[in-house]
Amino acid sequence: MEPKNVMIIGGGIAGMAAAWELAEAGLHVDLVEKSGFLGGHAIGYTCKATSECLQCGACSVEKMLKDVVGNDKINVRLSTEIETIEKNNGYSVKLKKSAAFIDGKKCTNCGICYDKLKENEIIMQGYSKNNVPLYAINPEKIDENKIALKEVCPEGAIFVSDKASHEDLTADAIVVATGFDPFNPERKATYGYAKFPNVISGLDLERIKRQNGFPARPSDGKAAQKIAFIQCVGSRDENLGNLWCSQVCCPYALRTAESLKYKNPDLDITIFYMDIQNTGKSFPAFYESCKNDIRFIRNIPVDIFPAENDNLNMRLFDEAQGISVMEPFDLVILSTGIMPNSGNEKLSAQMGIALDEDGFFKNSDELNKTSTSNDAIFIAGTAQGPKTIAASMAHAGQAASGVLNYLGVNK
Amino acid sequence: MKTNTQLQTDMEKIDLSTDIVVIGGGYTGLKAAARISESGYHVILVPQKNIGDFNFSVLDVPSTEIDRIKALEKDVANNSNVEILPASTLTEATGLPGDFTLKFASADAVIEKKAGAIVVATDIAVNPLNHIYGLNPAANVISLSEFENLLASEDAKKAIQTGEKTVAFLVGFAHEGSPLLMKRILNSVSEVVGLDGCSAYVYVNNIKVADDGLERLYKQCRDNGAIYFKLETAPTVTQENDSLTVRFHDPVIRKDIELNPDIIVYEESMIADEANLSLAEILRIDQGPMGFLQKENVHRLPVNSNREGIFVVGSSREVQSLSKSWSDVDNMVLRVKQFIGDGTKSISAKAVVDREKCVTCLTCYRCCPHGAISWDDKAIISPIACQGCGICASECPMDAIQIVDFTDDEMAERIKAATSVAAANTPKIVAFCCQNSAYEAGMTAKTFNYPLPAGLELIKVPCAGKIDIHHILNALVEGADGVLVLACHHGNCKSESGNTYAKWRINDAYRKLEEIGIEKDCLEFQTLASNMASDFARIVIDMEKRISQKKE
Repeated sequence: MEPKNVMIIGGGIAGMAAAWELAEAGLHVDLVEKSGFLGGHAIGYTCKATSECLQCGACSVEKMLKDVVGNDKINVRLSTEIETIEKNNGYSVKLKKSAAFIDGKKCTNCGICYDKLKENEIIMQGYSKNNVPLYAINPEKIDENKIALKEVCPEGAIFVSDKASHEDLTADAIVVATGFDPFNPERKATYGYAKFPNVISGLDLERIKRQNGFPARPSDGKAAQKIAFIQCVGSRDENLGNLWCSQVCCPYALRTAESLKYKNPDLDITIFYMDIQNTGKSFPAFYESCKNDIRFIRNIPVDIFPAENDNLNMRLFDEAQGISVMEPFDLVILSTGIMPNSGNEKLSAQMGIALDEDGFFKNSDELNKTSTSNDAIFIAGTAQGPKTIAASMAHAGQAASGVLNYLGVNK
Repeated sequence: MKTNTQLQTDMEKIDLSTDIVVIGGGYTGLKAAARISESGYHVILVPQKNIGDFNFSVLDVPSTEIDRIKALEKDVANNSNVEILPASTLTEATGLPGDFTLKFASADAVIEKKAGAIVVATDIAVNPLNHIYGLNPAANVISLSEFENLLASEDAKKAIQTGEKTVAFLVGFAHEGSPLLMKRILNSVSEVVGLDGCSAYVYVNNIKVADDGLERLYKQCRDNGAIYFKLETAPTVTQENDSLTVRFHDPVIRKDIELNPDIIVYEESMIADEANLSLAEILRIDQGPMGFLQKENVHRLPVNSNREGIFVVGSSREVQSLSKSWSDVDNMVLRVKQFIGDGTKSISAKAVVDREKCVTCLTCYRCCPHGAISWDDKAIISPIACQGCGICASECPMDAIQIVDFTDDEMAERIKAATSVAAANTPKIVAFCCQNSAYEAGMTAKTFNYPLPAGLELIKVPCAGKIDIHHILNALVEGADGVLVLACHHGNCKSESGNTYAKWRINDAYRKLEEIGIEKDCLEFQTLASNMASDFARIVIDMEKRISQKKE
């Protein structure tokens, strides 16, 4: 019997975990990822350990990526999107490969393209050494860089054409693991994101930490001393119609604050919050230690005002005096929430499976959140709703288990 | 002295039992039994308590699904591939993964069973927290479970409605709680505000909404008239006969407020099954925080224990709703299939005991974090349970254990090679790196061209627990100017304690260096994760700088 073939849409942590589980069970997997990198948002996160591991799970993404790349049953298709999906005996899928991409077989990872075309922002560098090639082409900048792209690679590994190429594949089952979009903090205009240099998002902080090893202020590169986290930016927000908790931002802010504080005990960190959400089994003890290191203020600021030296003022309520006071911070981190992927609607129409009222993929069985109205299609990870890295991996495992059950693959 | 330093081990064909024991007869245990048998294995289900004996509201089961879940009991009872041992408890577990021998005691007999793998699926217990609020249970002061039972009875519900009762809920002050507990509270609040004339006040600390649909439920309750008071400390409650008074200070309007509800519903903690303790001891698996099984360690997630072939699912490892527990079950099925397969496995040993040298002191048995070691007259390492971490090899006082690919001779050769690399005028730095973390970080630093010392050599080890004090001293003797031991962070070691052993050995090495009169800053211990390339680079560069400065 031909081995069964499963298509997984999305190469983030959930897609990778589902792919690995299915390949381990002997199936062939096509892992389709629209960007040039595996790992999705999760691979961009840095380790949050203090003297001990704080269980953020970022390192498991690195490990999973290595396992997926090393598994010959998984066909990783980068820079590739779904064009059409047709149901017949299984599924016939038409894929669209980007008009410009780097051929992983020819690329030697020399980095010449990246160094030469850095300023054009056309070549992007990935986070993981296991992501081969280490570089990818920024799809948004292809048109104006076609000539440069054609000439830059000494190995001829960069493929440029006038239009996207197509490929076909067939699948016996599909896992939808398209992940999330981070909330765009510019939508909360009064926070001045993209206007005030030292108002950044959590994802920005991750990039800064990876580059510098410390929380450098974008305005002057100096190490921030007085830092504020604002929680629930884009989540739990009735005005935006976002009636969900993103589930990852409290763990993110608490772990990040603790790890920054561990590296530099002189840091002054404040977390503005509505309700602190749990981080895991040992949350009570962890929260106690956080309270010793961090100032918690139960109030979400409405405005951020610019102050001298690119500092930022926020209004706090002084409970003792019963008045509000202005306090300056030198770096403000917006804990931006998890939004449904903007491509969900198109994909849901293509496959005929429903979205929920928030725009995430809807599970059809309350007791199995990977289920859809179609027996051959499963959801994995944040495509279904907000999840931590660990929860995404468990959800993906369940989806893989469902696929095996559906295809009748037993011991 | 061996001429060939490589240790060859042959592929060994091992038979594994395809019987799987499931401990716990709640709806997670039943689901586990059903799913494992679907995959073609024989299941021995040990319910411990009565099958299916559980409160549905506690597990966040939608009322529409109850019949379907109850049907599981019958399905499992009628499943010829599931054997049920009623009212039995596990008293002894011997043997090794793939071939466990388990003893179960019932009222009148001891039953012995063989099993290839074991699944622990104990449930959560519920514990009322009235004492933390200084409340005495009474007809109008009741626990969440009791209130849920009232709402489940049409008569009792009617009485609440006709009495136009005001219900006060207390939650989040006695303990942090969980989204699951909050969902139960909000479900009850939602019912109360849905009754004409009734009102609900919720006194709450942090509202735990980190689960699907909870923020929306919280808002719906608010829209339907529920009033929330978010407080940092619990309100003061007085019970005088039938009259109840709740007092608190409102921080926003800076006033003391007093209310008189008809009913007070106090929260409960959802705690680990007390059977976990003895199960952990008998099965030699780690306990985690608050009596749950499974330590906090990302490598164990979702369902692994520290031992091969023993899996923990559902509320045995964490407070979980039924849908999450069943997600664990599905993940466990993957692990069981991967581990047991069709009942045979070809495997080569990762560690070998020299039976001539072994004096059966059982140091290895005690230090093995994976429960992989047993003994006849000498120590025996199970090839199937062994993870090859090498903690035993480094702890063995007789040097009787060698790890494949990392024998003492091979390590000595690698140290020699690393220290003989010609690096003119730059310090020679040898970094022993755990392959799961620091080695990955180091290779990432190399791949992405981070600046690294010219004289740096990495020596890969399977776990920092494999780094002997001999290796450290040997590297210095061979001419290394600096030695780094780079382990995983505490709580992130795949072998749980490999990093701790490494740290102890470093401290031993420091003492030895002090005795000889060598300054100890030529030796450093650090913890890293695989994704910390820039920290790796900083650590090695700092060491190079320090050594260079001293040389000048």
